[in-house]
Amino acid sequence: MTGPWGVGIGWRPEIAGFVADLPGLRFVEVIAEGVAATGPLPAGLAALRERGVTVVPHGVRLSLGGAEPVDPARVAHLGAVAELVGAPLVSEHIAFVRAGGVEAGHLLPLPRSREAVDAVCANVARAQAELPVPIALEPIAALFDWPDDELDEAAFLTEILERTGAFLLLDVANVYANARNSGGDPAALLDRLPLERVAYAHVAGGAEHGGHYHDTHTDPVPPAVLDLLRELCARHRPPALLLERDGHYPPAPTLRAELDALAAASGFPAVT
Amino acid sequence: MSGDLAERQAALVAALVAGGPPPPGFDPAALAVARAALLRKRAGEVARHWPLLAAGLGPRWAVTFAGWAAGRPTGGSLRDGWDLARELRERGTLPPLGAEELAAREAADRYDGHGPPRPRRLPGWGRAGGAVAVQVAGRVRLLRPARR
Repeated sequence: MTGPWGVGIGWRPEIAGFVADLPGLRFVEVIAEGVAATGPLPAGLAALRERGVTVVPHGVRLSLGGAEPVDPARVAHLGAVAELVGAPLVSEHIAFVRAGGVEAGHLLPLPRSREAVDAVCANVARAQAELPVPIALEPIAALFDWPDDELDEAAFLTEILERTGAFLLLDVANVYANARNSGGDPAALLDRLPLERVAYAHVAGGAEHGGHYHDTHTDPVPPAVLDLLRELCARHRPPALLLERDGHYPPAPTLRAELDALAAASGFPAVT
Repeated sequence: MSGDLAERQAALVAALVAGGPPPPGFDPAALAVARAALLRKRAGEVARHWPLLAAGLGPRWAVTFAGWAAGRPTGGSLRDGWDLARELRERGTLPPLGAEELAAREAADRYDGHGPPRPRRLPGWGRAGGAVAVQVAGRVRLLRPARR
């Protein structure tokens, strides 16, 4: 099993047939919470594994940024899925998804504070102690900020990566969304992140609602996100790129064109 | 671990999904944007678990779901859709496709409205909006379609 390489796509049951027909595919991601830890793997995913396609479990419910200790059962599930698919690494988010016993339903941002850095690092350490493979951490797209940040985004992320030794899962669309919604320069953030720690990068589509750019994963990848991907690759091309699509699936030719656009922007071979 | 961060995270989640007040210092307009985005995302996830309910409501799905879910934390997509379908049944506004989906679910699983639904071990039936579904040995059949 090799690490993720080249252009990949998020495997979802709805597009399993499309993904199975991609001749050059070497890498997919699967939502860890959607896979039964005891198996069997969904048939489409098992077939990809037999082809030698690298499968990376992507967790969305660990809540590593929660002030409470991460739930050991959730870590155990992520680790079991990693072993089931023979994954070289797993990934999760720098975010929290529940607090006080209430589920938020999605990834929420942390205050960029020392206290939050400590909380994340403690939970990542708890997870690393139990996981069979390394973890990559993904910064999220946030629609609001906490009022009392002590660090900027780059310093916040760099400190977490340095203290945990984790890899970075850099989401180009999230970097774009945050910069656009807060009026910053997305390329400037790239200049301050440890790009050599990027295990792979996410690319996804989004749309504007009411003056805010939303990282929806249900819309086309905008040209500006592809431009930022080119900026990233010009600085330090990640080993792999992954297209995330989570609904409103377009016709196969449209999705193939998005994968080709990722390949063209990065110089990786087309997988279609 | 810090009690302060834990409390502030809990207050933020409550403000976003449980009708709580905006925590001090946060931009209420930005929180409103995030609250709406969470509801849109949740509506999409529930529609995946309840495709006929969502299809039956058609263009009214997003507004209907958001109206029901605002201020009500998720119990998971399966239960969210189930609770909404039952409420629409009580209001008499459950569309026929949703009624047939609800009848089939009620025939297959026992759901007390609080914990996770459990498969029925014995034969069961479900009805909603005129639709009647029966389940025997885990197989569900729609005996009668909903009123249209």
